[in-house]
Amino acid sequence: MSTVVKLTHLQKTFRVKHKASGLQGSVKALFSTEYRTVEAVKGVSLELQEGDLLAFIGPNGAGKSTTIKMLTGILFPTEGEANVLGYVPWRQRRQLAYHIGSVFGQKPQLWYHLPPVDTFELFAHIYELDRAAFERRKTFLIEALGIGDWLHTPVRKLSLGQRMRCEIAASMLHGPRILFLDEPTIGLDVVAKQALRDAIQQLHDAENLTIFLTSHDAGDVETLCKRVIVINHGQVIFDDRTSALKRRFLRRKVIGVRFGQPIPDDFAVRDATILKHGTWGAKIELDTHVRPVEDVIRALMDYAPVVDITVEDPPMEEIIREIYRADESVRVAGVGPVEAEIPLEKAE
Amino acid sequence: MITRLRREIGFVVHLVKLNLAGLMEYRATFLTQAIGMFINNGIYFVFWLMFFDRFEEVRGYQIEQIYLLFALVAGGWGLAFTFAGNANRIAGLIAQGRLDYYLTLPRPVLPHILFSYMNPFTMGDLSFAVIAYIFAGRFDVLSILLWLVCAICAAIICVSFMAVIGCAAFFMGNAVQWTFYLENALITFSLYPMGLFQGVARLLLFTLIPSAFIGAVPVEIVETHSFALLGALAGAALAGIGIMTVVFRIGLRRYESGSAINVNI
Repeated sequence: MSTVVKLTHLQKTFRVKHKASGLQGSVKALFSTEYRTVEAVKGVSLELQEGDLLAFIGPNGAGKSTTIKMLTGILFPTEGEANVLGYVPWRQRRQLAYHIGSVFGQKPQLWYHLPPVDTFELFAHIYELDRAAFERRKTFLIEALGIGDWLHTPVRKLSLGQRMRCEIAASMLHGPRILFLDEPTIGLDVVAKQALRDAIQQLHDAENLTIFLTSHDAGDVETLCKRVIVINHGQVIFDDRTSALKRRFLRRKVIGVRFGQPIPDDFAVRDATILKHGTWGAKIELDTHVRPVEDVIRALMDYAPVVDITVEDPPMEEIIREIYRADESVRVAGVGPVEAEIPLEKAE
Repeated sequence: MITRLRREIGFVVHLVKLNLAGLMEYRATFLTQAIGMFINNGIYFVFWLMFFDRFEEVRGYQIEQIYLLFALVAGGWGLAFTFAGNANRIAGLIAQGRLDYYLTLPRPVLPHILFSYMNPFTMGDLSFAVIAYIFAGRFDVLSILLWLVCAICAAIICVSFMAVIGCAAFFMGNAVQWTFYLENALITFSLYPMGLFQGVARLLLFTLIPSAFIGAVPVEIVETHSFALLGALAGAALAGIGIMTVVFRIGLRRYESGSAINVNI
């Protein structure tokens, strides 16, 4: 396997105007403008091998999108180096663009008033695709992403999930080697999310595509990615296999249960915490290392007839907080960086 | 080089077709906007009709020259923003971080941005230009050809000027109002006979706010069939393209993107 992305101490700082609140602050800023420097990305180093499916996660403002934008040549870094498929993105942006695809969840590339097929035609021109090859590729993507029914419907009339699948098809028309997905599941319902994840997985498997995915959704990471990098305040705080993340930080699950009969006030579940208690149901938190989910579900079903049950991951922000806390405690304890304490397994 | 140029032109033609298709999605809106602009120009023109009802000429311009002036300015302006409709929206696109889409694709960014939007209002300008030219009454082939070439040069100058001032957004953040004022200055000064302006004002209209190259100089060219002036106009258009390209390239290094939610319309 060859290295397709290599970042070395990549940094990006922005100069941001700082103004006191209200009209008085605005008037004051007219005469003396204060600026402060925001370090969006602070020396990120990482490597990606061909065929990797990497989750690049972090809370809002962590530096995920800024990193992707530097990797795709949209932004110039303040310092550091990057090599994507042998190109320096911000210097060889156009050459690189023929080999990468990108989908920004909040910045659609499909033309809003026109059907997706029109944007596909435009992209065939943009990437100078051979007509026959374009038709073959289009047919393959229509099938792989299941978008045949909406191809001729104006984008404005598509649901968010349908649109995202068409967005991915558009960004894959030229057969890129790396696909950058920035929050592709943002705003999607559970069904649409799963359909999109399946489509991404299928494309990855079919073409050994390298995928660099940012998401807020722990489910995306869990179901799709073999490797995960967590970034916070512009720094990498975790870089390991997803299985290691799951083992260490995705241990907690929240089970919501609704019974067919009222439950007593002293309702309790062994090795689990009751977060919320109602007449007909409860919200239970458990550590899967202490007691497996299926064991708790079985116990609940034995307890009384169950009408509804849900199993949820903790929100991504919480997972990151935990990772960050672990990182901080290691640093405070003076035993060096987190990698020294927790041996990293090599990503596939 | 020629193959490359042909490909880029082919790409621009495809963009124009796509824009037209987008406009056709809302036929009624498109037609009302185009007709609205036609009427708007007509109202402005009424002022000159009333003026020449009382006075015979103003600084060498009679009603025929005013017809020609409108045919050229509306033609140049109409061509500019019908085809390169994003030229006067660049400041907003930069400020809202909406260049990301163009930067991820393997095409020259500036032309891609410029030709990715078609302004339906300016179709009214184009049709107004044709009517004004018919009133100007110069039906010899050379005059018609010169009118068309001058309108194209004027369009290039309009686009370059708007793009350059829009690029101020790279340096000062929000430049939308500033481009609005300068756009109004460009169009307003181009609709008056150049003889009205002397000294510094005249110099400004040939340099910083190049209204003279959109109105007065093209009128002179079509009237006198002066190829020397045509050369100067073409030179100004080429200089405009050069300045626009350099300013955009320098500015792009300062582009900061953004987190605004975007839509391609």
